[in-house]
This record gives sequence, C-alpha cells and structure tokens, in this order.
Amino acid sequence: MSDPRYDRLAELVLDHSLRLQPGEVLRIEADAVAEPLVVPLHREAIKRGAHAYAALDLSGLTELLVAHGAEEQIGFVSPIALREMDAIDASITIWSETNTRSFSRADTDRRQRQLAAQRQLALRRRDRIARGEHRWCGTLCPTEAHAQDAEMSLEDYEAFVFGACHVLDDDPVAHWTGVGEQMQARADELAAVRELRIVGEDTDLTVVVRGRTWRPAYGRKNVPDGEVYTSPVESGINGTIRFGFPAVFGGREVDDARLRLEEGRVVAAEAAGGEDYLRSLLELDDGASGVGEIAFGLNYEIDRFTRNILFDEKIGGTMHLALGMGFEDLGGLNRSALHLDLICDLRREGEVYADGELVWRNGHFLQDPQPARPAERVR
Amino acid sequence: MLVGFCARVREGDLVTLESTPLAAPILRELYRKVLEAGGQPLPRVSLEGLSENLLKHGNDEQLAWVNPARSDDIETVDVRIALEAPGNTRRLSNVDPARHARHERSSEELRNRYLERAAAGELRWVLSAYPTEAAAQDASMSLVEYEDFVYGAGFLDDPDPVARWQQFGERVDRLAAFLSTKRELRVVAEGTDLRFVTEGRTWIPSKGQENFPDGEVFTGPVETSVEGEIRFTYPGVFHAREVDDVRLRFEAGEVVEATASRGQEFLREMIAMDEGARRVGEFAFGLNEGVAIFTRNTLFDEKIGGTMHLALGTAYPETGGLNRSALHWDLICDLRSGSEVLADGELIYSDGQFLNGVG
Repeated sequence: MSDPRYDRLAELVLDHSLRLQPGEVLRIEADAVAEPLVVPLHREAIKRGAHAYAALDLSGLTELLVAHGAEEQIGFVSPIALREMDAIDASITIWSETNTRSFSRADTDRRQRQLAAQRQLALRRRDRIARGEHRWCGTLCPTEAHAQDAEMSLEDYEAFVFGACHVLDDDPVAHWTGVGEQMQARADELAAVRELRIVGEDTDLTVVVRGRTWRPAYGRKNVPDGEVYTSPVESGINGTIRFGFPAVFGGREVDDARLRLEEGRVVAAEAAGGEDYLRSLLELDDGASGVGEIAFGLNYEIDRFTRNILFDEKIGGTMHLALGMGFEDLGGLNRSALHLDLICDLRREGEVYADGELVWRNGHFLQDPQPARPAERVR
Repeated sequence: MLVGFCARVREGDLVTLESTPLAAPILRELYRKVLEAGGQPLPRVSLEGLSENLLKHGNDEQLAWVNPARSDDIETVDVRIALEAPGNTRRLSNVDPARHARHERSSEELRNRYLERAAAGELRWVLSAYPTEAAAQDASMSLVEYEDFVYGAGFLDDPDPVARWQQFGERVDRLAAFLSTKRELRVVAEGTDLRFVTEGRTWIPSKGQENFPDGEVFTGPVETSVEGEIRFTYPGVFHAREVDDVRLRFEAGEVVEATASRGQEFLREMIAMDEGARRVGEFAFGLNEGVAIFTRNTLFDEKIGGTMHLALGTAYPETGGLNRSALHWDLICDLRSGSEVLADGELIYSDGQFLNGVG
C-alpha cells in the first residue's frame, strides 16, 4: 500500500518544482533505499504523460570503487552518462542514503578524486539548466539512516520531513507558490540594502551585499525549501561569527566553528570538534577561505537540527554562510571546489541590521516584506 | 564464475550489472570482481514497480518509448551481466496483454541490435539468477531448498566448478558437431510429431557463457520447413502468465492451430503479435542433468536434461536463423519417457538420452 504522503510529495515535485509536461524525458536519480518515493514519482510522472525512468544506485558500490579502484577506474566518467545528460528534459535527485557515514573511513584523496570525476556530470547538468534546457529538483525520501542522524524514529522523522515539505496542507502547490511571492518581495527589499550586520552570541559580522541579486528559494530546486540567499561582495565581509550547529561535510562533522574574517577572507578558524578537518577544508583551494553565500533560513516547520543540509540551512530563524563556491548568476565571483554551509542560530539571541536599521530580531524579520519602489531597485 | 568464466571481463571493459535491489549482496560482489579484472562496472538497478507503473498507466506513446540511454548501453558496453532476482513473479499478471505486447514491440529493434552485437562478438553477456523467495515460491520450494537447487544447477557445489563446466562444455561441443551433420530432425512423443530442417544452420553449444547455469544445444530451423504438431508437457510461462497444455500445429513453418487447456486466448494473442511470432526461432535440447525439475523459470527449465524446447518468435542471428519478432517464447517438452528423435530417418535420441555415446 502506498502512503499518501509519499504520493503528495511526488505530486508537489512534479507539478510545482518541475512543472513536468507530457512527452518530456524525466530521470529519477536515487539510491534504491528511496524506493518508497521513487515508485510514486515514477507513477505520477507516467500519469502526466512523461517518459520517466529511474537511475538507481545501491549502497556500498561507490564505496567499493573508492576503496579498491585503480586511478583510472576512480576517475572514470561514463561517456554513456554524459550523453544521457544531454537527452533528458528534467531530473530529480533523491539524496536519501542507506548509511550516511559509509565514507567516514574512506581515503579522503581517493574519495575527492572520485567526486571530482562525477562533478563533470553535475557541471554538464548545470550548463543545461543555465541555458534553460533542463529543470532539476533535489529532495529526500525519509530513511532510517537520516532518522538516526536526526535522532528520531523513522515514524517521527517522516512526520518532520512531510511537515517541512507542507505536503499535508490542503494545497501544497498553493502554499509554495504563496511562499514564493512573499520571498520574492523580501528579495526585492534586500536588493536595496548595501550592507548587513549580523549580531548574535560571539557574532558580529558585517557583510556587503550591494549590487548582488537575492534569490528566493520556494520549492523549485529543493523540496523542502525556504530561504532567501545571495553571494555577498567577496571583499566585503568583516568580523567574527560563531556557528552553533555542527557542519557536516563529506560524512564528517565540524562542531561549534568560530571564524574571523577580514576583507572577505577567513583569517582565524577554531572549532570545538573537527578543527583539523575544518582547516583542511579551508586549504582545499584559494576560494575555500572566501565566502560564496549568505542566506536567511525561513522555513519555520524546520525547527531543529537534523544533520542534513537540505533541511538545516532552511531552519526558520537561522542564517547561513557558505565558504567556497559562489553563485555566478547572482553576481558571485568566488570559485572553489568547496561549498561548506555553516549555520548560525539567531533564534534566541540575534539581530540583523540593514544599513544600520534593525530588520530582524530573534529569528524573525520585524516586518512583512515591503516591495521596493522602482527607483530604489534601479539605484 | 560470472565475471571470469562466463563474461571473461578484461581490462578496460565497460560492464553493465543489471538486477533488482534484492540481489544487492551479489551485485556488490560482482562490482568488486569487475574492478579487480580492470573493468568499469556500471550498475543498472531496476525496480519491478516501475514496469508496473508504465504498463498500467502509460499511453501508447509512452509504451512505445525507447530510453536512448539504454540504447546507448546496448551500443556501447563490452559486457552485460544480468541477474534475475524477482520480488513477485506475478506482479504483471493482470496487465492487458495487448499493452504488454505493444511495450515489447518497442524494444524489438534494441533487442535485435543487442543480438547482432553479441553474434558479432562485440558484446559478451551472461544471464543468471539470484535466489529469491518469489522464485522459490514458483518452484514450490523453500528459499534454502531453492538456493541449493540454483547453486547445484551451476555446479557450484563441485570442488572445481570451472573444470566441471569445461568438461561439460566438451560434451555440448560434441553434440553440436554431431547435430551439424544432420539435415532434418523429427521429434516423436505423445501428441507430438514434428519435422524441420536444420541443414545450413548452425548448432550452437551453450555451455555456461551466456546463461548461467547453462546446458543446451540450439539452432534456428529453416523457417518454412517446420511441419506437424507438438504438445508441450510443461506450462508455458510468459509475461507473468501461465498457459497449460499448449498444442501447436505447423504448416510450412507457420502455426496454423494453437490450443491450450488454460490461457488459450493469451497464447493466441502472443502468436498474433507480429509476422514472426507464429514461426519458430529456435529449437534446442536441454542437457543439464543438475536441473531435473520444472521451476517456472525459463533460464532453468529450458536446460532440464532430457527435454527439448522450441521458441516462437525471434531467432538468434548466430544460428543463421532469419526469423525476427518482438516475441521469443520458449516452450518446453519433456522427452524423458516415451519419446524419440530421428535425424534423417535414423534414431538418435530416445527417452531423454542421445544414443550411441554421442552425448
């Protein structure tokens, strides 16, 4: 028997995120553990007249490649997979894992080389998305592994995930469309801001955002969603920031990271746990100690940390800052193989000033978004 | 066995590994062995529920769609290793056969291309099975019993399976060479008197390379030469349906009468699928004495030592068989008692055994 919540999540992804049309080719990418979501996604896509199929992975295979593969096997990019990318109109990535720590003991260099090879596929998809030839969405099917990371039972975790996705609302598509309108207004308002100042526990950071585009994220590319983000001016970040939530990257954690930034570069980094790992990430390449993203998390159904960035970066009342790769289409210039999201909890003790004016306190904007006047947007 | 003996994976080979998640333990093992052999494993994991979705809800255009990525696989890879590992062999029993047939026709071109590359030696493949509860149930066994059956059929209980298969292969080679000297075969059994010409066609020894387990010798008879009638002792299993007591009458190579005690309508629909579906694409002798019982799985059933099978539909190009169809349905006949096969009028096979020491 299929669980109607999975059906509704499938419908939301197909109708709101992808706006899937008859005759389009849809590829669903997932680990086989995501079967409870793959099957309804495929069924609903077929019902909508699309040519849908699944490309499934099995837990443990890539682990074998990283552990035992020769150089050329690890670095291999399938020509079939590259050609395939050009033939599909839409794709869905289900990030569900069977074991979120299966690479914890893997050789970091070998794992990085394997990921770098696979990045070629991601880049080809990114280019097609940029040209308007492809639509993509990432989502999650609740699994025991993710529930365990969130310190919940699977049943409780399912309720958390489906709540965050708003699939139990009367009309989930209407909900996310409404969120989109609100967030677009907020993004327009932020577009008029020159500089943000973030003040919280052990945190006082100024971030220049002038001239950059803010983007609302309302369920098109991620489900669940709920953030407004941009790439700040690379040289315009100064001060200190403390990230109360652990950052999870490559199956490893960095706990309670504190950074000092000068002219956009990390000049001091400490962490209560995983400090060496944090430092190694900062040294990954030149752009790794620069900032690629600053964002407000605005999904208030997500009220706790669950060790999954899809959810954590959207926790209502938080901000996050990403070290590394910026968003070219938003004006971001920083380039790196890293994109490490670090989340700062501003719910209990946090203020944000926009050009000196208090706009956010303790996890909430003080006013509903006021669309900027045309003159301000031009300036 | 699969990576080394059957598929002979070499350095640089692109190798697709096809199965369902139920076969995960053996897929991991295969993946590792392919890496060790220097090949590049490409997993192709399928979920049964997706075929069900398509066959139940797809429109004509969707049923006829061929995934270009899978055509690319057929065109590109060096080796294909496929494992049956069903979760429910009757999942598609209630699907409209006409829709099933339409979907089947869509992949015909792909299948022909696949057989072509295989016949040309460009693509090595092996089909095998991983024991699951569903397959055990079809065989009326417990899973443990069925595992013993599967591994026994592959001689994996032998201390040296490779040597055993090589020895077995020599026997199959001898039979293929022997049959190649014959012009016409006649099969006589209860309800069966069938004649056909195999002269000019190639008998292929099937000895553990493309199927595992294996054990048959097969050819594609001269299409227009099949005459007479045949009664199949085992149910025909196709598209998750079972057809009992199938009887066919052939004239000039075409089925002119088809009856069954159960599933007759389905049988007739399949035969009417296309031009080639009413002609014979394959005739074979099953030779594996390790497979003694019928388990409702063609991979095993067609190898039962002492049986023959005849396939309606597409022929294997390497036999010289010319018939092409979206269908390839193997129907199996037990010859272990009261049966004879004559070659050019001479008795060569009786009660499931070749005579005069040839087999």
